[in-house]
Amino acid sequence: MHCARVILFAAGVLIGSAALASERGLMIRAGDLFAEPFIDAKKLAPLTPNQSVTIIERRGGWVSVQAEGMRGWVRLLNLRLEPAVQPAGRPIAALRTGSTGRTVATGVKGLDEADIRSAVLDRGQLAQLEQLGVGDDAAKQYASQNKLTESTIGYLKPGKAP
Amino acid sequence: MIRSPRLLAVLLGATALVSAPAAAQFGAIDSIIGKVQSAQKIGEGLRKISEPEEIKIGGDLAAMLLGAAPLIADPAKQRYLNTLGRWLALHSERPGLPWKFGIIDSDDFNAFSTPGGYVLVTRGLFERMRSESELAGVLTHEIAHVARKHHLAALQKALRNQSLSEMRSYFSISTGSSIGDRFSAALLSAGKDLYARGLDKDDEYEADRVGVVIAARSGYAPWGLAGVLQSLTATTDESKYGLHNRTHPLPLDRLVRLDSAMGKRFDTMPGLVDDLPGFAALRRPPAPLAAPPGPKPPPAKPGRRRP
Repeated sequence: MHCARVILFAAGVLIGSAALASERGLMIRAGDLFAEPFIDAKKLAPLTPNQSVTIIERRGGWVSVQAEGMRGWVRLLNLRLEPAVQPAGRPIAALRTGSTGRTVATGVKGLDEADIRSAVLDRGQLAQLEQLGVGDDAAKQYASQNKLTESTIGYLKPGKAP
Repeated sequence: MIRSPRLLAVLLGATALVSAPAAAQFGAIDSIIGKVQSAQKIGEGLRKISEPEEIKIGGDLAAMLLGAAPLIADPAKQRYLNTLGRWLALHSERPGLPWKFGIIDSDDFNAFSTPGGYVLVTRGLFERMRSESELAGVLTHEIAHVARKHHLAALQKALRNQSLSEMRSYFSISTGSSIGDRFSAALLSAGKDLYARGLDKDDEYEADRVGVVIAARSGYAPWGLAGVLQSLTATTDESKYGLHNRTHPLPLDRLVRLDSAMGKRFDTMPGLVDDLPGFAALRRPPAPLAAPPGPKPPPAKPGRRRP
């Protein structure tokens, strides 16, 4: 049992790092590669729109990336992700099974327009949902246990359209 | 009930004209009032409903969504979601609503809210979050829709020609009565349209902007939503993201607007939280109880260890 647990844990770590390594970003616009996650940190290199970077870590509004043969930081809001590579021109049904390399298991539940259109009110489920709510005290206790700091911030003006 | 002075004048005129015995007279007035009332439309009336009325509408729409995908039976996760959600909602314009949060059983990536403070996220979304700040980003986006009454505004457009008195019956009479049924059916139909087609794009952009502020006020890194939108820019899996992507503006469009709205305003805020260990443990899907059926792997060589 102990041995099995160790192997499962090792497998989990391997899967985790593999998933991270496969994340590749694309610069939405021109921006700088910084030495540290601060706007006034040393600039290592300029990056061009659509330049591809490898994502290593996320921290607040910053993403640690590998680019131009260097490791540095770019602003999170300057990055999109590279779409997962899909063979062109294949029907969705084929992609569904092909993209994961395994057959779709029965019992995988989606939620699409047809499910909403055909939905019947489930008052039993609503009664269960009503029971799930917690009071302010539980929420405040959670915040204090986890040292969440409140602050007063005004709302933002609309951003510019692309 | 009758607010228009002109309508009142017509009714008073009708009273004066009736010269029959008293009983018949009142009967006639009742009939006229009934006709006038049933002819009166909701118009802008949905904007003026009370909080308990808003919660009744929201509860019915939540029951509809739960009819499409039920809650997962995992009290620890549901409790966690409600604790986090409540904390976030306390920093919205409507902290006093009876907020309820639920994880629903679907592998898809999506989140919904209904008037009055009901918020539902799919299990697929919950499991794919990279951090608690990402989940906070999703929840505050939904909280913002509720706080700004975006769904009510959309329903108002769809229901404006329904009868006002039928809406009143729906609100005043307990569930199961037939009097409010016509309004109830119209509401359900409009609700299905709404959740299948999505809100106005401007409401989505507004919920993004309001949501990041609520997250930051609550102590979370406000870039969590941006991380989620970033994930969505890479999605090509129509089977899991289809409904979300058809009901929302393009994620790249939302990212660019959010960048412009946020600027560097939050860059120097101290102590913002990205992730917490409790959620890191909860978001991993449980390991399968047994190996899936298939050819058995060859037995491991004795004494072999992973390096």
